[in-house]
Amino acid sequence: MTRAFEIKNRIIPYQMLYEAISGTHSLVENILPDHGIPSLKSGLKQIKSVMNDLIIKEQEGLPVIGHHFAFPTEFLYAFDCVPVCIEATSYLLSALLPDGSEPYYDLITHWGHPFHTCSSQKGTMGMTLDDLFRFDAIITPTAPCDNTYASYPWFRYHKKIPVITPDLPFLKAEKSYPYLGKQIKLGLEELGKVIGQEPDYDKLRRAIEIENQVFRMQMEIFELKKALPCPVENMFNAMAAAAAIYLSGRPEKITFYEEMLAIAKRRYKLKEHHGGEEKIRSIWPYMIIFFDLGLCEWLDRELGMSILFDIFNYNFAEPIDTTSDLETMFNGMARKTMEAPMVKQSAEFYYSFIDECVQLAKEFSADCFIFTSHLGCKQFGSVPQILREALRDEVGIPMLLIDLDVGDKRMTSEKIIKDKIRLFAQTLL
Amino acid sequence: MKYINKPREVILTYLDNDPFLNLSDSIYNPYIKNWQSSNKKVIGYYCTYIPEELLHAAGILPYRIRATGNKDTELADTFMVRFTCSFVRATLDLALKGAYNFMDGFLICNSCDHSRRMFELFDLKVFNEEKINKKVDRFYISIPHIITDEGFNWYLKEVEELREKLELAYNREISDEKLTHSIDIYNQNRELLRKLHVLQIQEFPKITGSEALQISMANASIPKEIANDELKRILNDLEKKEKMDVSSKKRIILVGSVVDNIDFIQLIENSGAFVASDFICFGTRNFYDSIDIDHDANPLKDLTKRLYYRISCPRMMDDHENRLNYLKKEINDANIDGVILQRINNCDLHGCDNMLYTHELKDLNIPVLNIDRESYQADTTRLQTRIEAFIEMMK
Repeated sequence: MTRAFEIKNRIIPYQMLYEAISGTHSLVENILPDHGIPSLKSGLKQIKSVMNDLIIKEQEGLPVIGHHFAFPTEFLYAFDCVPVCIEATSYLLSALLPDGSEPYYDLITHWGHPFHTCSSQKGTMGMTLDDLFRFDAIITPTAPCDNTYASYPWFRYHKKIPVITPDLPFLKAEKSYPYLGKQIKLGLEELGKVIGQEPDYDKLRRAIEIENQVFRMQMEIFELKKALPCPVENMFNAMAAAAAIYLSGRPEKITFYEEMLAIAKRRYKLKEHHGGEEKIRSIWPYMIIFFDLGLCEWLDRELGMSILFDIFNYNFAEPIDTTSDLETMFNGMARKTMEAPMVKQSAEFYYSFIDECVQLAKEFSADCFIFTSHLGCKQFGSVPQILREALRDEVGIPMLLIDLDVGDKRMTSEKIIKDKIRLFAQTLL
Repeated sequence: MKYINKPREVILTYLDNDPFLNLSDSIYNPYIKNWQSSNKKVIGYYCTYIPEELLHAAGILPYRIRATGNKDTELADTFMVRFTCSFVRATLDLALKGAYNFMDGFLICNSCDHSRRMFELFDLKVFNEEKINKKVDRFYISIPHIITDEGFNWYLKEVEELREKLELAYNREISDEKLTHSIDIYNQNRELLRKLHVLQIQEFPKITGSEALQISMANASIPKEIANDELKRILNDLEKKEKMDVSSKKRIILVGSVVDNIDFIQLIENSGAFVASDFICFGTRNFYDSIDIDHDANPLKDLTKRLYYRISCPRMMDDHENRLNYLKKEINDANIDGVILQRINNCDLHGCDNMLYTHELKDLNIPVLNIDRESYQADTTRLQTRIEAFIEMMK
């Protein structure tokens, strides 16, 4: 019994998440009309299914592996394990718990963690400090930002958790992919030794093939967003970000995207907008806020403002070749890792980010950009003004800059954010 | 009477107004002017992870970018959000004001998120050819964030490619002989700095923490051949001087973010402490290790080995334990009473490293103060109060 109790307590935040998701899903299913926020309905349903499965697997004693979002979850399916994304867990709890992840940010800050680091790590660090998570090992690439190499050593040096760190070069060049591919392979082998398993590359291949299948649907949805009005609701951005982590390499992700694609196609045919009338088309080149997902709906319904995409929904990596040899597959995995949101922008100079934003603005008929300048994110701290100038000069559209913490409502509250966007929208209409 | 502040005991110094130390007060100096008058190039850089010896071997003066004296970041604030490092912002501010127009090129590496983005901002906003009527070369190298054999090979390849780029850009060969010669000069420079450091950490020192910082900054702003002569002169001068009596003062080691002006160290020294050592990148981290040259081998490899395997900064995410061991050794060697950990606000790397040190040093019963500050001297009263209280606590 003691053993069962201990094992059960290794992922308490996942149980909290499961309960929060179940409660929210139940409300969405039972209270909202059939056509209300389908991405939320479908996303929560699929995440709930995965979460339930992971809780069972954890109770069976499988190792709990923490990982950075920049180390794609499906890579961990080379093992029988319970993957826990450090960053996504902080933010999904931030979105779903009544008090958000703030109590856990405070725990680790009181321990001495600087207030200005990224809340995406602070939440899970606080939970781990309180022993709510008990990781068997953690794996993270040395990217995308200072917060990663600053915060993760705490797990190794204070909590004595083995932390495996495949090195990711801050350089977009052909030589980078074989280097990173080898680093990922070595990382998985080292992880296998820590948890007492051999990496199963056939299982890994199958998980990657699911991602390849999803990629095609992602691209179709992306193309459909060019239509006026945008046939995809704002909430999709948040749910797709969560799906990118929690559903990766799982059949539930295919189901989610099949449903989303079907809805987008139907709306496209009917020229329907989720909020009724699309008045403003916005691009959020960085993140949307996570502590209040209601903002997505408010923008759709109150302002008629579409979020065409945020950073998690315009960076797509090409499918990975799983049909050749292992080296080819690992090189493909390296390419995918380096194309991941934020990693891509870290590994490159700003020039291609600016060019891409300008191109997206033109192709998707954007009326404006909204840049959420996140306290933790220093790597994006020097780009807003040069992006603003490029959008003004080359597309003729404005950009609103909001200083905030995307996972902590105490820095810039929902009301302030809404006020800023409302005023900005008035200047556009 | 008890409420009246007593004047602190001032440490007598021997290097007041020394012309070499005074070079640290300004960005530009006569040695740069002289260097460029013979059509030689100057390349600016931020981080001690760049291969200075390679630039030297190419006949280039490597100049370490700093913001000494600049308390205004108004221009730079347009381009960098307020959550960024005030040191880097202050350097950009100076650059936007033209203070770095003397540079013929810049070499950036991925030291931290703040400084590596200076590549684009320098490129687009400072050295844009429409704004500055000369060609300014841009170089970048990517450095691993962990210490492994594979990482070393990556770094070496980057340094080899940089060598080729420099040769191409300046139409000159960087031979192994030239490189070995440069390494010798830099090794001598580090040796001289270490000798001066001994004069700082000993029981009865001959230089203060402020002076050590000034020496290090001046040393990074002029040709190394001249710096070596100056360091030898200072060592000779100090040999004749009496040792200082700092026995009434608590001995402090200063750890953390870059410090590029003496105001902050003077604040500590004026609070009744003696800064006996440091673990900052304008200090011991820069000269602690030398290059062991194997004359039969590849000097570029030797050079890269020192850069990669030397005592690291927190950008190396798997090396905290070695840094802690170094710190413990320095605490012992310099007979340190207390540790002041400091970070420039928004510096995640030093902030998190300092967090770990705080707990680890407390576990060893070593008094420790962990503070945040801006790059320039600001919020002086709060800092002074905390530092004085810390020193008082150790008595």
